[in-house]
Amino acid sequence: MTQDELYSKLAAELPHLEKAQTQVKDYLTMRLPSADRLLETVRALKERLGFDYLEMVSATDWLGPVKPEGYIRNPNPIVFMAEGATPQSIPTATPNFPYRPMIELVWMLANIPEKIRLVLKLEVPREDAAVPSLCGLFKAADWQEREIYDLMGVAFTGHPNLTKILTPEFLQGHPLRKDYVHVKDRFDE
Amino acid sequence: MSEPAKEKEAVPAATPANVVPAGAAAAPAAAAGTVAPKPAPKAAAKPLPTPVFNERHGKLILNSRYWPTELWKSPWSLPSYRKGALVLFGLIAGILLTGAAVGELSRWADKLYALIAAFVAARHWPAVTTDAVWDLIKILIVLHVVLINGLWAIWWERKISAHIQSRVGPTYAGGWHGWAQTLLDGVKLLLKEDITPTAADKWVHALAPAIVVAPVIIAFAPVTFGKQLAAANLDMGVLYIFAFAGISVIGVIMAGWASGNKYSLLGGLRASAQLVSYELPRGFSIVPVLMFAGSLNLSTIADAQAGYWHGLPRWFIFYPVIGPLAFVIFLIASVAETNRTPFDIPEAESELVSGFHTEYSGMKWSIFFLAEYGYVLLASFLLATFFLGGGASPFAFDHVIPSWIWMLGKAMLMMFTFLWIRWTFPRLRADQLMDFNWKFLLPWSFANIAFAGLFLLFR
Amino acid sequence: MNKGAMAPDQEQDTPLKSDSMFINLGPQHPSTHGVLRVGLTIDGEMITKAVPDVGYLHRGTSKLAEVRGYHHCVVLTDRWDYVSAMPNNLVFCLAAERLMGLNVPPRGDVLRVLMCELNRIASHLLFFGTYGIDIGAFTPFLYAFREREMILDLFEMVSGARLTYNYIRLGGVMVDVTDEWVAKCREFIEYFKPRLDEYDTLLTYNPIFMARTEKVGLIPPQTAVNWGLSGPNLRGSGVNYDVRKADPYCGYEQYDFEIPLGKTGSCWDRYFCRVSEMRQSVRIVLQALDKLAPGPVMAPGVAKVPKPQPGEAYAHVEGARGDLGIFLVSDGQASPYRMHVKAPSFMNLAILQELLVGNKVSDVIAILGSTDIVLGEVDR
Repeated sequence: MTQDELYSKLAAELPHLEKAQTQVKDYLTMRLPSADRLLETVRALKERLGFDYLEMVSATDWLGPVKPEGYIRNPNPIVFMAEGATPQSIPTATPNFPYRPMIELVWMLANIPEKIRLVLKLEVPREDAAVPSLCGLFKAADWQEREIYDLMGVAFTGHPNLTKILTPEFLQGHPLRKDYVHVKDRFDE
Repeated sequence: MSEPAKEKEAVPAATPANVVPAGAAAAPAAAAGTVAPKPAPKAAAKPLPTPVFNERHGKLILNSRYWPTELWKSPWSLPSYRKGALVLFGLIAGILLTGAAVGELSRWADKLYALIAAFVAARHWPAVTTDAVWDLIKILIVLHVVLINGLWAIWWERKISAHIQSRVGPTYAGGWHGWAQTLLDGVKLLLKEDITPTAADKWVHALAPAIVVAPVIIAFAPVTFGKQLAAANLDMGVLYIFAFAGISVIGVIMAGWASGNKYSLLGGLRASAQLVSYELPRGFSIVPVLMFAGSLNLSTIADAQAGYWHGLPRWFIFYPVIGPLAFVIFLIASVAETNRTPFDIPEAESELVSGFHTEYSGMKWSIFFLAEYGYVLLASFLLATFFLGGGASPFAFDHVIPSWIWMLGKAMLMMFTFLWIRWTFPRLRADQLMDFNWKFLLPWSFANIAFAGLFLLFR
Repeated sequence: MNKGAMAPDQEQDTPLKSDSMFINLGPQHPSTHGVLRVGLTIDGEMITKAVPDVGYLHRGTSKLAEVRGYHHCVVLTDRWDYVSAMPNNLVFCLAAERLMGLNVPPRGDVLRVLMCELNRIASHLLFFGTYGIDIGAFTPFLYAFREREMILDLFEMVSGARLTYNYIRLGGVMVDVTDEWVAKCREFIEYFKPRLDEYDTLLTYNPIFMARTEKVGLIPPQTAVNWGLSGPNLRGSGVNYDVRKADPYCGYEQYDFEIPLGKTGSCWDRYFCRVSEMRQSVRIVLQALDKLAPGPVMAPGVAKVPKPQPGEAYAHVEGARGDLGIFLVSDGQASPYRMHVKAPSFMNLAILQELLVGNKVSDVIAILGSTDIVLGEVDR
């Protein structure tokens, strides 16, 4: 199945999906209008179109350039060098780039026999970000959603065990959010 | 030697026989001490500068790296390989010649006994002193068999495992092939801190190694080391050995329970199940031997195997079907009794983190190993006595080499088998191990008794 | 103690009363291959509940990437799957090249394939050795390391490093190989081929090893797909999914090789898939060595500080552990705006909570070993 065939099929079967403005390079990228129709759409994709392999769950925080305060900056003993190893470069905002207080969730689904992949995108507001969990459809979503919850702070409603997975329990905040600020803990000197 | 000259030697050695011509052309350039230039970027729009990330780029560091490719083609071309074979041959010949020169040890023992008796008689001490001193000497000798066996067997196991795994094992301590390695390890273990965990039951924790090691030393009493060479000539020697060897499992369970560690507890429980189960086929497998020999005395069993059938010694292992079957069952059960791979589930390192001796350190820990190797030696001597004719020579024409050399040689061969099995097989799972015992070894050991009965009936 | 925790003890009124025991498998345990903790609730030797706990090795590489240039990010990738770092380098470079629109010269592509396949062999050798130790056979480990050392020597000759190579760079590879290296590589392959048969006699068809692994840890194909497994863990269940065939990169479609598949999804099938993959990798390495035509290895005009156009790219490769993917977002700055790593080990580890239940403690080790996880990649 080629991407064009898939697109025409999707347009017929799931007309509420629209082509995303920013396409993930080389893969067909579709945008969901709202979180309500996520489960229904993914179930249709899985059962009717054979997308039974959830390859990736990811999220992007579109707030703007990352804050340097989110990094642990140890004082450098070499006085003429910059403080700490991180950050190596402080990112700045790109002019005219549509930064917005939204978190964009990205799912990548694959149809193994047809050798085709589909990227689903959904934007939710940053404050109290929540989307339905795909755990009921894909067990693969279990840990990936926990990871996104831990690092990005998106609550997946309906997840059976939505707890932190990678960061220690004393860490406050969600490190991959762009406005994350590191709070000193007992491991900082 | 200057640096370029070193390079000159090193590079041709690195170049294999099937080197491509371009490589041969590149080698002299490297030999001249320059950095090997990378082939010029061909047909590039803009030639990139040659990156020098690393001065050794493209060269194997020959003085520190060893590729087995050349060696493996013909190991005999190495002088060290030939020398090693010669030394091994010399060692074996030397041991045989020493044996021939010394003769039977029981002869010397009789002389020593007569000397003690004469000394006692000259001082007009009571006659019982002679026997007391003589028993003390025998006890000390048997005790030291177990202790020195620990030193020897651990070093030997390390060397054998190393050579099985294409390593060399200990080489530094003592100079010659690291012979002093275990000795120095022993010193280290003596000096190490003896840790008792807070959660441990202190008395039981301390007592467990003693209960593991004492039976093995006691069990050595009736073991024959050659013709008329046993500390105690017991008429029920076999029963005695099996009875004492069975006590050690209590120590293992105590160690597992008293450590206050869940893994140790699991190890101790597994050990109790395994050791008790394998006692049965181990005992029953030698019943045919006892039936043939008609005695429980180890010397009598060994003597029953004297003689030859057309040059083939009349050892029990050569009895058709019955002998080999009993031998294999006894060997497998002995491996299981000593907690060694493939039956090492009580101390499975990758699962239970060493099982019942996880929480032991220093000398207490090493005592477990002393016991383990003691049991290996005990099983080796028993195998040699029961199945390999004891001190009997395998050759009908040989009247020179004394029995203790043959006995020791056979026991060491059996010990080698133990080590060989240890380093070749993976580990069984606990339930598979039990299945193997109850569904395979035990029925066949019973069947073997029936075979032996039929054999005796129709002989 | 709350009421829920008390409940199991109170409801046991039967005369045969048995308590379950909680065991921490790890973080310090010889068989967890790193700092993994699995909380096991056991009844005797039977597992009733297993909770894998990860994160002990979390270094936040996704966060670090957001304040580093693209060239610097390649260094971070080495630290995920430190057992086979070349595919990590490759997948990041592929994603970044897709963002920047760079084209790698043919010799560079061949070298990338060559290094990745050599690294796959090295990684599977490590698996082979450590799995032997997990099952209780110590000897295969040293045999495997003897060969792995030679591959590491080859990598050292070409990149100067033995573990974290940073060899595959944006636009190609760091430096070309010499003819001497090619000769050494062929010598290694000639030496290595008979060793594979030796491994089969030593471990693969050993009756004890087969008894320990053959009917243990069965993963049916649907379960494997649903849990998102990849790599030999998925193919051991008989699902024919290999990124090298399904979504070819670096010209893998030009190479002639097969995808070994398992039948039942047992530990032995997963093991056998890896051992068979080594044979296929040997084939690919030989083909790649034949394909090495003279030419540049680096694309011309790779910027020192690349600033790709705003956009998003996803690249994935078949690493030694499975489908390793990178989702890269650029907002036009010198650092990635967002880097997400889809780590195969992370996915392969998640299934343990379902797979371990009902097995014995010894089988935990057999199953855990057969999934071949690297904790550096799980935690990133």
